[in-house]
Amino acid sequence: MCLFKLENVEYLDVIKYPDLKISTGITTFICGDSGTGKSTLLSLLNNSKSPSKGYISYLGKPIDDYDTIEHRKQVILVNQSVYLFDMTVRENFHEFYKYRELQKPDDDKIKKYLKLCIADFSLDAMCQNMSGGERQRIFLAICLSFMPKVILLDEPTSALDEKNAGKLIGNVKSYCTENNIALIIVSHSKQLAKQYADDCIELKKEVEA
Amino acid sequence: MNGVVKMNIWQFLLVYLLLVVVLVIMKSRKINQIKLLFIASLRMTVQLVLAGLVLTYIFENPHPLFTVGYIVAMISFAIYTVLSRNKGLNRKFKIVVGLSLSATGLSIILFFILAVVGVNIFNAQYTIPISGMIMGNAMTGVSLGLKTFNENIKTGRNKIDVLINMGVTPDRILTPFVNTALETAILPTLNSMLGMGIISLPGMMTGQILSGTLPMTAILYQISIIIAISAVTCMAVFCSLYFGYRTLYNRKKQISI
Repeated sequence: MCLFKLENVEYLDVIKYPDLKISTGITTFICGDSGTGKSTLLSLLNNSKSPSKGYISYLGKPIDDYDTIEHRKQVILVNQSVYLFDMTVRENFHEFYKYRELQKPDDDKIKKYLKLCIADFSLDAMCQNMSGGERQRIFLAICLSFMPKVILLDEPTSALDEKNAGKLIGNVKSYCTENNIALIIVSHSKQLAKQYADDCIELKKEVEA
Repeated sequence: MNGVVKMNIWQFLLVYLLLVVVLVIMKSRKINQIKLLFIASLRMTVQLVLAGLVLTYIFENPHPLFTVGYIVAMISFAIYTVLSRNKGLNRKFKIVVGLSLSATGLSIILFFILAVVGVNIFNAQYTIPISGMIMGNAMTGVSLGLKTFNENIKTGRNKIDVLINMGVTPDRILTPFVNTALETAILPTLNSMLGMGIISLPGMMTGQILSGTLPMTAILYQISIIIAISAVTCMAVFCSLYFGYRTLYNRKKQISI
């Protein structure tokens, strides 16, 4: 089934996207050189940005027909540069849940998602002392624990070595497949794409519509 | 009690010698603000001389229009100063700031002159200096509040993006920034109340005492003006930020900062 469909989409006259379709229930990689609008595409898909021209649909309806906030709760975008509060791992989960107006998750749930994202830290570890890669994985764990329907990852492995990158994407992919979550990943890594992509969209510069 | 001693113009000029001391210290420490020192002292002198001339004229030829004109000019200047110190606000935000400053400033001025002091609003001798104190403080407060808000939003950009992208409403994300900026803007006024009367006699009271007003009358004015200043600062900053932050996102809850 068609999850997203783009037709004649342009962003600020700088980026022109080819018409494309992204399906439900699979892992889609978005590849391409810098400046081809990969990150912007993710922002368009969760409606934190709007195209200056063209049409985007989500599950068969125009994306603007959905309540924006509800849409973003279903289609979570994990930025390349993540944010964590200067608190412990557990408090970070609680804080983000508070922002989302959800009940605090219990420790078992937190541990489950940390393990999934290869971030097996003590729940009392302070996040401000952690490396970029560690923070990235903890943040991803928080986002996955919200149980979205679609998860958009922008360079999720940029701060990881190859071995851990593969392991992380493998874990996340199998979790998403089990729970019928569509996974869309922007990545520079051809190798990761080859190994884990069910579908791969290559963006090129100056695509004429 | 005697009225104030009139300063002899030559004796008055002696005070400018103190600026030479400042100049020497700045030169020796290589502080590169000598031009500012000159411009600031010069502007201060010229502006106050002009104010003196204008006020003399208005007091001698009282007319409601003069008072109204003076207040309008003061409010416009306050708005202009706040906006020029806080570049990069969007158009709607600027309008909100202008309206907030005028509305809160005017209501406090009216309340103070009519209800607390109890004189005619067109009485230039009361309305002009008191409005000046009220608008000046509102201006400083709003300027500080906006500066804090903008800086925090800039450094918190990543946090804002991340929260937007997981489906948090802009209201929930931005309100803490509004609260912090409001607190920063009103703290100096509150803190200044603490030392009042012990460390310093505030300006308005000093002026009244010098010109022969009984100290007990002077403190009543001082207390009421300080409270009015706290109120106008708090109200103007609150309105500017509380209605202003809503201009940072659109109907689709997309943030543009």
